[in-house]
Amino acid sequence: MSYKKSCVALALMLCAQASLADPIAQTKGKFEDKFRQLDESLPTPNIYRNAAGEPGQQYWQQQVDYKIKASLDEEKRRLSGSQTIHYKNNSPYTLKYLWLQLDQNIFKPDSMAEVTSTFGGGSSPNNEMPAKISLDELRNLQFLADHELGYQLDNIKLADGTKLKFVVVGTQMRIDLPKPLKPAESLQFSMDFAFNIVEEDAVSARSGFEHFPDDKRKGGNDIFLFAQWFPRLVAYTDYEAWTNKEFLGSGEFTLEFGDYEVEMTVPADHIVSSTGDLTNASEVLTKEQQQRLEKAKTAKRPVFIVTEQEALENEKDDTDERKTWRFKANNVRDFAWASSRKFIWDAKGYQQGGADQPFVMAMSFYPKEGGDLWKKYSTESVVHTLEVYSRFSFDYPYSVAQSVNGPVGGMEYPMITFNGPRTELQKDGSRTYSQAEKRFLIGVVIHEVGHIYFPMVVNSDERQWTWMDEGLNSFLDGIAGREWDPQIPWGVEARDITDYMKGDQQEPIMTQSDSVTRLGPNAYTKPAVALNILRDVILGRELFDFAFKEYATRWKFKRPTPSDFFRTMEEASGVDLDWFWRGWFYSTDHVDISLDKVYKLQLDTKDPDIDFERRRKEEQDKPMPIFVELNEAEGKTTWVERNKDVTDFYDENDRFTVTNKERNSYQQFLADLEHWERQVFERAIEENKNYYVLNFSNLGGLVMPILLQLTFEDDSVQEMYIPAEIWRKTPDAVSKLIVTDKTLKQVVVDPKWLTADVDVENNHYPRQIIPSRIEAFKREKSKDLVERDIMQDSKTKLKEPKAKD
Amino acid sequence: MRLILLVLCCLSLQLSAHEMKSAITKVLFNQRTGNIEVMHRFYLHDAEHAVKKLLDKSADLIAKQSTRDSFALYVSSHFQLKSDGQDLKLSLVGNELDGRFFWVYQEVAIPHQLTQLQLRHNSLQSLWPEQVNVVNIEGRGKVKTLKFTPQQQWQQVQLSN
Repeated sequence: MSYKKSCVALALMLCAQASLADPIAQTKGKFEDKFRQLDESLPTPNIYRNAAGEPGQQYWQQQVDYKIKASLDEEKRRLSGSQTIHYKNNSPYTLKYLWLQLDQNIFKPDSMAEVTSTFGGGSSPNNEMPAKISLDELRNLQFLADHELGYQLDNIKLADGTKLKFVVVGTQMRIDLPKPLKPAESLQFSMDFAFNIVEEDAVSARSGFEHFPDDKRKGGNDIFLFAQWFPRLVAYTDYEAWTNKEFLGSGEFTLEFGDYEVEMTVPADHIVSSTGDLTNASEVLTKEQQQRLEKAKTAKRPVFIVTEQEALENEKDDTDERKTWRFKANNVRDFAWASSRKFIWDAKGYQQGGADQPFVMAMSFYPKEGGDLWKKYSTESVVHTLEVYSRFSFDYPYSVAQSVNGPVGGMEYPMITFNGPRTELQKDGSRTYSQAEKRFLIGVVIHEVGHIYFPMVVNSDERQWTWMDEGLNSFLDGIAGREWDPQIPWGVEARDITDYMKGDQQEPIMTQSDSVTRLGPNAYTKPAVALNILRDVILGRELFDFAFKEYATRWKFKRPTPSDFFRTMEEASGVDLDWFWRGWFYSTDHVDISLDKVYKLQLDTKDPDIDFERRRKEEQDKPMPIFVELNEAEGKTTWVERNKDVTDFYDENDRFTVTNKERNSYQQFLADLEHWERQVFERAIEENKNYYVLNFSNLGGLVMPILLQLTFEDDSVQEMYIPAEIWRKTPDAVSKLIVTDKTLKQVVVDPKWLTADVDVENNHYPRQIIPSRIEAFKREKSKDLVERDIMQDSKTKLKEPKAKD
Repeated sequence: MRLILLVLCCLSLQLSAHEMKSAITKVLFNQRTGNIEVMHRFYLHDAEHAVKKLLDKSADLIAKQSTRDSFALYVSSHFQLKSDGQDLKLSLVGNELDGRFFWVYQEVAIPHQLTQLQLRHNSLQSLWPEQVNVVNIEGRGKVKTLKFTPQQQWQQVQLSN
């Protein structure tokens, strides 16, 4: 294409985009409607998802059931399997082909993720400096070079043996159906698959093996985590049809719900933790282990099914024997498992009550490296999560909830989560952990188990919208964390996000996962803070909790989109929140409300005998002009002082002197007032209130409620809440009149730092110097007691004070 | 000839809730004190893991002042400011724990007629290639944000008055 042509094409494209994005535009003037209703930006409601944000009257989703047999070759670190898939087309459309996700293909050297991975991890190129490569990166490179990765697929056929034509497109595969699959029809097909397992520490994945070379067994041991491990049907939806977007790494996935029967054959000394119920416990567990499980059901504290001693024995030896573990899981959207001979296993029953799932078994699997940290806190954290999350959503819907320690820092699947924190081996052979690691374990278990609710049951699409599960889940894990121990700082305070929000490098929350540059603040912290503000500042807990629970229960085992969340929260709370979604989720504005000025008004009484005297007083209160002051100081006298014999009327009567002319006109003014006018006027004069006008400007762009703290001369304090709607006509600046009996001394906007206002200094009137962190630090070095080395100090012996010489 | 090695980044960023692998720094032109104040904020959990690798296994940010001081020293040697190629010598003011964050403070007097600033911040990047250090420059017009990855060593900003 020539340069000229491409310019024209580009211009046309830009026009088209602009007109598509916003058909209604302010084409003159600068007014920006921060309260513009969101409906025009949301998808049109229809019979599948309605205007209330509910599943519509003809809501549908596909059903996909799997029967999988898998076999782990520990020596080769290879998993092979075969699966039969039963696909039920509940959609009103006829399908000519099916799409499957092949997530293991992301590790292939020619995958889109690999080929498009950029120099510098997303930063702009820099030509001036020599680049560096780390050992971690070299390890990654070498692992990819040494291993053949990705799926090996075979034998893809229908139940009657008909071979199916298929095309692999990166991390996806299209299977062409010999006969189109009509609405309400089902199809059964099968395939064999195998792949070499990645070393998680080398390639940084969401599953894989971790090697422990120092274990006593010859060659060491591994922990295997299997997730995104079998070819899975891509979700087919009413809003996007096939959600067949290439797997690039950041955006995770969404899938269909279905029933799973999975059997995995592993070395006989392995312990398997998996999605689902174990259906052949008598074949794979000893009698004693089964009895311990029974005991765990009613235990107050976790009971060991495999003790540390037993796990240590296991990890010393080897076996040629193999065992097959069988699991069954209904209504799950995915299936993951873990296997190792290193696992210690503990369990504790949780009676949650309710009709759906009165009993849940909470369990943890971890190697000796997890140590006391895991023994004490993992399973207990699982139970705590269920208690808190169920209150905000629905009863935990599955029979087990598990936390497994392996190489993955934190990742979730139905009924099973992978969590990374460990203890440190000290020189004396003991295992210790820091306070930060303890907080991390409790926090990450809460977070990952929380994901079993969002998005494993409330099935949002993580590949498109990370915030829908991470944001909601970070909001809830903050609540669960603070209910565990409010002394521990769990984050998601409004002030934690201000530095991110005021910067000029960020994207709106409503950005597809793979395009977000910093997922932590964008998709976790910012939406979590937004929901905290919505709950505790804007809606209040009663309205928010009702609406949030409504969202969760509406979309339990269904597939919500952002608009369903936005609509439900508004619909159920009865509060128009379009401005809030626009500001926090659709824009990169930040909060910075400045209280620029406060001035006092005084009502004129119109009565000249009062008003003229007031003005005289005002005149007298003005400071003396410097000219007069200096002349007096020099001893200069004025003409008037020197000529006191020359006087007239005006020496006795100043310009504030009242005459009957003014009094008559005042009486006439009163006589001319309508009856109601006179009443209002007289009352106002009698009450003699103070009228204050507060001028605010919105420097950050994001409209928010104005939280005021008014302090009066008598030191009384009044809190005042002005809803965000005050900004609707003039979003850049507003004035507010405050009428009070008292005299105002000080006004502070958002004194408790609840709204993520990025500049606290301009929240004070009169202005107050807010010291920077460094100024504050210099003033008083931190006296935080947590800094004391109590472990060391407690060894101090009591001493007699030294006697004076 | 300068040595140029190719860099490949990790296949996929592992998404875990609590390992942020990012730090944020505020560079504040504080007219009140006449100083450029530099305030680095690290996630305590990141810093805890880092000190065990940078120092030794017994390092403990919460319990030991010596660990905190060593880590602050490490950070101060991985953050630099220049103006017209001249080093602005930052002094290390101190460090403190605050909730889930660890802060390191540095400062230097604001030089006369400063119109541009070159910055570098590569703390923790030799440990973790995915470490991103974000720097906000505040107090001279609109907030400017710079993002430092291991490949982004020196960056420059023009300052407004």
